[in-house]
Amino acid sequence: MTEVLRIENLHKSFGANHVLKGIDLVVEKGQAVVLIGASGSGKSTLLRCVNFLETPSDGRVWLDGTLVGHQSNGAMDYRESDLIPIRSHVGMVFQHFNLFPHMTARQNVMEGPRTVLRLSKAECIERGEKYLRKVGLAEKMDAYPSHLSGGQQQRVAIARALAMEPRLMLFDEATSALDPELVGEVLQTMKDLADEGMTMLIVTHELGFAYSVSDKILFLHQGLIHEQGTPDEILVRPSQTRTREFLRGHATFRLPDAEF
Amino acid sequence: MGYEWDFGIVLRDFDVLLLGLVNTLKITILALLFGVPLGLGAALLRLSSNPAVRIPVGILIEFFRSTPPIVQLFWFFFALPLLTGIEIDPFRASVLTFSIQSSAFFAEVFRGGIVSIERGQWEAAKAIGMARNQTLRRIILPQAVKRMIPAFLERVIELMKTTTLVATVSYADLLYQANNIAQSTYRPLEVFTIAALMYFAILFPISMTVRRLERHLARTGETTAH
Repeated sequence: MTEVLRIENLHKSFGANHVLKGIDLVVEKGQAVVLIGASGSGKSTLLRCVNFLETPSDGRVWLDGTLVGHQSNGAMDYRESDLIPIRSHVGMVFQHFNLFPHMTARQNVMEGPRTVLRLSKAECIERGEKYLRKVGLAEKMDAYPSHLSGGQQQRVAIARALAMEPRLMLFDEATSALDPELVGEVLQTMKDLADEGMTMLIVTHELGFAYSVSDKILFLHQGLIHEQGTPDEILVRPSQTRTREFLRGHATFRLPDAEF
Repeated sequence: MGYEWDFGIVLRDFDVLLLGLVNTLKITILALLFGVPLGLGAALLRLSSNPAVRIPVGILIEFFRSTPPIVQLFWFFFALPLLTGIEIDPFRASVLTFSIQSSAFFAEVFRGGIVSIERGQWEAAKAIGMARNQTLRRIILPQAVKRMIPAFLERVIELMKTTTLVATVSYADLLYQANNIAQSTYRPLEVFTIAALMYFAILFPISMTVRRLERHLARTGETTAH
């Protein structure tokens, strides 16, 4: 198997606040890896260090086997000009969608291919339509974000990331800001991607979703990977007390086996 | 004791007043033409992450915002020639002063518009690999400019009113012409009433536009995450 992402001894501090305290992680091609943990455990920060929206304080990151950044005196030096190609190969989906409100769905999706990849206008339009169709929004191409539901906006955001044809997709609590009845359509889109073999690193609170799509689950606690394993090992038979406490908190109230 | 209004004498010199209005508009428009791009440049420099750029530009902007425009005008008209040996006529001194003076205010309008755009917009653009200047040009400014329009027009109104100061360096703007006619006809009441109406005729529609835009923007309230 080929490694898409390798992280070694990753640290991140914000001033005196030591958020990540030495993370090691490998994601292989085609894998869907899910990060779970309480808020403040460092999940989102870890994700944001992968596409360098945050600059790691220490540690190394490899994408497709290539070390990101330059080494100088033992520390890593990250230049904006090195990070732009990295970001164009790593897609990210945000909790609050962050669509460009002055552009239609199609223009949102075309923006990266046009501005960053500098594809021809015809190719950009083709990509825009291809990926909006893929997320089931063929009929909403000319709609502005303000005229779309939250679920539709998030699917446009997924299409916008996919249009760069990334090697790795990052999902940062992609359904946390959605009304409950809109969560399903976004999770389904993500599951379809996983089934097609997209390499994904996902932060989510949807444990049922995590169980059904992931190849590997990592439980983060206080800036460290506390426990990791298959969905069954982590979500069904967790071995660590902290993991159990976390999962118990999520399963306080449950429906009996309902028929929908 | 009733004052007998006589607009006839004044209206005979209406073409002189119109010439004054044209000169006022000339200064205002030229100051805008230079001041707006200069203001945008100053705003971007003030938002720079490099303190060696950010701080001096910030001080310069605050200096021009916090000194009376008439002092700036006298300085460019009387002091600059003494320092540089270059003679400067009232027209050039006026355009120079109001271009720089208004650019300091426009810089703050631009900066306010730019920082009002959510951080998520910068991050979304960055995440697809866009560089800072691409993000600014294609994502941030188009949204910021829309939000800035009311504040921008407000500054245009202020600017046109402030240009009355150019009369003090004998530039023949509307106020200067009105003053001349008032002195030659002994009809200051009529002259200044008409001059005021001429300013009003230009500025009131702009002011109304600001109101309408503010209401419209408040109604549409643009943001992607609701």
